[in-house]
Amino acid sequence: MMVEMRDLRKTFGAAAALDGLSLSVGKGEFLALLGPSGSGKTTLLRVLAGLEFVSSGSIAIGGRPIQDVPARERQIGLVFQHYALFRHMTVARNVAFGLEVRPKRNRPSAAAIRDRVAELLEMMEIGDLGGRYPDQISGGQRQRVALARALAVEPALLLLDEPFGALDAKVRRNLRVWLRALHDRMGLTSIFVTHDQAEALDMADRVAILRAGRIEQVDTPDAVSRHPANDFVREFMR
Amino acid sequence: MPRSHPPRHPDADAPIAGPARPAQRRWDLAALRRRLAIGLALSAMAILLVLPLVLIFTEALSKGLDIALEALAEPEAWSAIRLTLTVAAIAVPINAICGTAAAWCIGRFEFPGRALLTTLIDLPFSVSPVISGLVWVLLFGANGYFGAWLDRHDVRIVFALPGLVLATMFVTFPFVARSLISLMREQGAAEEEAALTLGANGWQIFVRVTLPNIFWAMLYGVLLCNARAMGEFGAVAVVSGHIRGQTLTMPLYVEALFNDYEWIGAFSVAALLSMLALVTLALRMLLEWRIERDRSAGV
Amino acid sequence: MSHRLTRRGALGAVLGMVAGGTARAADAAALLNVSYDPTRELYRDFNKAFVAQWKKSSGQTVAINQSHGGSGAQTRSVLDGLQADVVTLALAADIDALARRGLLATDWQTRLPNNASPYTSTIVFLVRKGNPKQIADWGDLTKPGVEVITPNPKTSGGARWNVLAALAWARRQPGATAETEEAYLRALFRQVPVLDTGARGSTTTFARRGLGDVLLAWENEAHLARKEFGETDFAIVTPSVSVLAEPPVAVVDSVADKRGTRTLAEAYLRHLYTAEGQDIAARNFYRPRDAAIAARHTSVFPTIAMATIEDFGGWDKAQAAYFADGGLFDRVFTPGK
Repeated sequence: MMVEMRDLRKTFGAAAALDGLSLSVGKGEFLALLGPSGSGKTTLLRVLAGLEFVSSGSIAIGGRPIQDVPARERQIGLVFQHYALFRHMTVARNVAFGLEVRPKRNRPSAAAIRDRVAELLEMMEIGDLGGRYPDQISGGQRQRVALARALAVEPALLLLDEPFGALDAKVRRNLRVWLRALHDRMGLTSIFVTHDQAEALDMADRVAILRAGRIEQVDTPDAVSRHPANDFVREFMR
Repeated sequence: MPRSHPPRHPDADAPIAGPARPAQRRWDLAALRRRLAIGLALSAMAILLVLPLVLIFTEALSKGLDIALEALAEPEAWSAIRLTLTVAAIAVPINAICGTAAAWCIGRFEFPGRALLTTLIDLPFSVSPVISGLVWVLLFGANGYFGAWLDRHDVRIVFALPGLVLATMFVTFPFVARSLISLMREQGAAEEEAALTLGANGWQIFVRVTLPNIFWAMLYGVLLCNARAMGEFGAVAVVSGHIRGQTLTMPLYVEALFNDYEWIGAFSVAALLSMLALVTLALRMLLEWRIERDRSAGV
Repeated sequence: MSHRLTRRGALGAVLGMVAGGTARAADAAALLNVSYDPTRELYRDFNKAFVAQWKKSSGQTVAINQSHGGSGAQTRSVLDGLQADVVTLALAADIDALARRGLLATDWQTRLPNNASPYTSTIVFLVRKGNPKQIADWGDLTKPGVEVITPNPKTSGGARWNVLAALAWARRQPGATAETEEAYLRALFRQVPVLDTGARGSTTTFARRGLGDVLLAWENEAHLARKEFGETDFAIVTPSVSVLAEPPVAVVDSVADKRGTRTLAEAYLRHLYTAEGQDIAARNFYRPRDAAIAARHTSVFPTIAMATIEDFGGWDKAQAAYFADGGLFDRVFTPGK
């Protein structure tokens, strides 16, 4: 197993955001976290990225426990819901950021960084936008920049928080197909959060349905829609 | 100040001559009233703001430019200018750093007592400057809490540079913090979190992400902080001791000259302070434009 | 990270400030004279003379630093630690307050001649060119249409002397009683359109802003105002009765001993009593104690019948009776009338 989460608990004050959640994600898998708002999807993502810490439970990636590893050392790519691009940097500088902040001994040369950025932008099909600033490009393009920035550091795991949430329907459909293809081509392991069940069923290898910080069911899209584990899942998938 | 134009007759704008319809007339009256109000407001502004400024410069130059410059070249004037710059040079950077740190804590984190801290930051604005000065006398004066200890070790805080710096710092603390808090709250922590997941350490995040995002707003705060630091009168008057050539800052020196019947000198130094204010105003407009641009460019 | 920076920066700044403060305190070749407002010109001249004289007699170069402000506020600052080697204030009561707190010996007034008061002053009238309202004495001030300018006795020491001088005159009128004195004062303050907080403020109001017909002022302030604002535009009227003010001087023992400036400080004050010091006082319109010097300036200092503070039972009593809350002044003056 690539990612192994066991009995994760996380409370904010009295409310439990994660309530004994366990989940495994296989290498190369594309897993969708699906659930109503407040079900703990985003918290789970932030816990994996290291932006929040669990109250109890363990997380291992590739067999290595990481629940106490600081975010900057986790090598996990996170694409924020609103992209969180660095507004005062060009697209190219945004993408290069993760490489430029590395300690000198394992930082690629400036030329290597440049090449890598160009390659990533090309892969994202936005090769000509490197010199633009985030406020000068469209929402779909920002999405691709955010993805390129996250992928630049070659993360072991890619997390996407509502990746299409801020886009209009048409751009959304195109990006869906494109993102899934990219995932397969690059051999990524990805977890993405959505509240749109069509999107989850369409793209994911497996779907995990969350409610109140617990997993109600994890299975292939086909199995989840055909054999919902309980009434909640049935209601939610309808 | 002369008012530029008397309000024009309402009909001057009306495209159609002839008997005005009631609706038309009502609109005209409203327009007239509006113009009157604007005219009044502008006149009031001219009288309250521009006139004193003009007066300062005309008084300073009433005996000619060289006399005014001579007054500024007096050793005591130099000492006041130097002292004012020294106080600002110490107080403003410290406030810039502390203010940014405070704004960062308040803008980025939820913690118990955050609302209290936010209110506390504004405290110097709601306290009379005289009180802001008296606090330091009460703490560090001969009869203050630390007075005896300081006296034994022959350390002078009040009636010396440290007191002036402390009083100035207290009065000007809110400027930087205030200009940053709302901006930082609005910007949120997402960019910093993104930088974190990309492997940046704390310092890299601050220098490469946080600082550029707040730079112009911080500069704006520093500018206002500096203007107030150099212009502060009430608080420094209390801790100054009024020693000529030693603890008189420019505003205090203006008062001293005024009491000496040295009008030209008083108005010359005041003119210098006013120029600082005008430069501040110009820079402020420039910065406001920049910040507005950055804000609307939020992604 | 920014926290660490903050602390380091602040620490450096504080250390720097402390070092600067200490360096200043150790500078013994300088005296600080903490004085009240109207003595600015006097001590500017006197300090110059003393520095030259000291250089000649001892070879040492000294600097005299001056601090001016309201007498009461200056007293407060010295109490709070302003390092005054000498104080030259308006009232003996102010120096007494310092003595009560142990800053100097309680017998300070016996350590120098003339109650430790090297010069005196009195209250006179300053009127406009040609004295258009024909003001000759206190009785003329209450005539209809005469506007009188005086600072507020609540905040200004000089203004208290104005009130006492007025009372001294009222007291000497035939058939005077406490009631007639109070009535006169009430009538007088009915003529006052504006009360400034200090003597200099009132002078500015009268001479520069052109308000009022007569200014009640220190003799030295009145002369100085003529010098500053035009000898021909203003004239001094000497009333038949006024008061004798004796501004005292003293070495602040605790400061002078700690800073090792006692010899210098004592020499400085003694120099006020020398012919040179007395002459400088006279030229700055303070009445000299030295009869010979005074004789040279009789045209400036006409003889006036003067009441002293003792005639009013001393400062403590006068303060309580006339100027404390609910005292005589509060009874006769209604603001905003």
